[in-house]
Amino acid sequence: MMRRNVFAILAGAVALAMFMGCSLVSQTESVPPKHPEELAAMRADCRECHEDVSTGALKPYASFRHSLVFIKQHSMYASQGQNLCASCHAPSFCQTCHVRKDELKPSTKMGDRPDRVLQHRGDYIVLHQIDGRLDPGSCFRCHGNKNDTRCQACHR
Amino acid sequence: MRDARLGVDPRLSMGLCCAALLLLLPALLPAPCQAADITLSSRTYLLYYEREVTGGADKNFAPLYEYLSADARNLGDKPLSFHFYGWGRLDLSDDTDDDGHSGELGSAYFQYLHPTGNAEMRLGRFFFTEGTAAEIMDGIFLKARTPVGFGLSVFGGVPVERTITSTDTGDSIYGGRLFFARPGFAELGVTYLMEKGDFRGDDREMVGGDLWVRPGTGVEISGRASYNVSTSALAQQRYVLRLTPFSRLDLAVGYEEYKYKDLFQTALHPAFLSPSVDPNDEAQIVFAIVDIEVASGLTLEGGVKNIRHDASDPGDATRVEAGLRYAYNDGKDLGGLSAAIVSADRAENEYQEYRVFATCSPGPWRFSLDALTQRYKEQISGIKDAYQVVGSAGWQVLPYLKLSGDVTYTRSPRFTEDYAGLVRASLDLGITTGGK
Repeated sequence: MMRRNVFAILAGAVALAMFMGCSLVSQTESVPPKHPEELAAMRADCRECHEDVSTGALKPYASFRHSLVFIKQHSMYASQGQNLCASCHAPSFCQTCHVRKDELKPSTKMGDRPDRVLQHRGDYIVLHQIDGRLDPGSCFRCHGNKNDTRCQACHR
Repeated sequence: MRDARLGVDPRLSMGLCCAALLLLLPALLPAPCQAADITLSSRTYLLYYEREVTGGADKNFAPLYEYLSADARNLGDKPLSFHFYGWGRLDLSDDTDDDGHSGELGSAYFQYLHPTGNAEMRLGRFFFTEGTAAEIMDGIFLKARTPVGFGLSVFGGVPVERTITSTDTGDSIYGGRLFFARPGFAELGVTYLMEKGDFRGDDREMVGGDLWVRPGTGVEISGRASYNVSTSALAQQRYVLRLTPFSRLDLAVGYEEYKYKDLFQTALHPAFLSPSVDPNDEAQIVFAIVDIEVASGLTLEGGVKNIRHDASDPGDATRVEAGLRYAYNDGKDLGGLSAAIVSADRAENEYQEYRVFATCSPGPWRFSLDALTQRYKEQISGIKDAYQVVGSAGWQVLPYLKLSGDVTYTRSPRFTEDYAGLVRASLDLGITTGGK
């Protein structure tokens, strides 16, 4: 049954690709797969070079200035145009945090980057009891059906 | 039994094979299409720490981790690429688990990026976000936009999940998003997602809406809402008004609401299920975030988050936080300090958090210090505060190779006094082969 579903999906996808590929695709230039210039490791501000609207992401470059506001709302922008993220970040960048299972928290992997906004600094195993009670929805996004290797020690 | 350690997870083996194939790809392709831009990134971490195990004995752990990512772009001078990401662990001292090793294939997929219309195709294992869907999947993803602004994406395959409940992970996942976008003004989308599986007795079937509107310069309204078809209820909604009236000011205010039984219906983690949580509870959250560049390099950040529950058990709470960041040394270094205070109906949910950090990069060296403390209103395991200090030193040995090490000191309700060490090797290689 599952295999039949997957084949149906694949067939539909290929049909859609052929259908869309003919002439229905917008002629607006896509986001380049890789930013043409090397970027500094600090927080990005597209406004240093760009003033207009990104043709690929269809939003003003100003929206993507990596302020604290953007960082905390990044999922909204990524969900409407993940390609723009991948233009500057490596495709695996998202999976620093968004993974099926990982044993090292991002702040351990990047202990040399205190400037980065990273989840769960300190001995968060202790603090998660409080944050989890108050706002479990914020935990659910990443730990609801994956990324729970460390949870397994206590939650069974 | 030691031989078992030599066994490698099949998924990891597949991943390593993919990486090897990726690197050999330019050589395997016919001569006219040997072009490829290959980047290889390796992060190796060796941790060392001591833990008291059941029975009171001390054990020393030294897990060695390798995180490998590789990207081959512009394959055959076409907008075709292959991306790989995976990690593996080998315990060099006492075993951190029963096997003494672990690993995961994070992603391995081909991607075609059409030069126009942001049309794309992905095939393999990948993480994607599309409207209200954010999944890791073994399958296919297609997306394109038409000249009139309407667009469509479809995806399907097998979900890549984990479960620590008795519920199995999903068997198959598929869906799509219909959207309309007008550049610089608005994007609206409707997402459908179906995951076949035994989630609380039902499949996971969600319909979501996403919205981004820019009614004027410096004003953005965005929102997302998910309707759970299986429970016939709105599971979650979140709306944000973002204002950037001046180039140095970024302000967002928002509202979020979710219902436990509808949002957590598909959870594979017991912490989100009864009896850990009250399934009839609902949370309403009002929040604000601000980022102001008060002077060149000096940024003031702040936020407020008020959480209200329908059920009296967890109680309501408000988190207020503020911080300063200062960039110096041509932006290569940063220093910062921050404070957060959580006040709540119940004393057990109240705490304060203070943090200070700084980096220093003289020549090829980089040093950093990060100190964090938390003060709990009520004792946790008889302790009312926690401290963690991380000191790091790194050396850029070569343009593509950096070595660094961290020492972490922790005192918390879990640790009377804990020291942990980490050695890190970061390798970043970029190669261009063939081409015109």
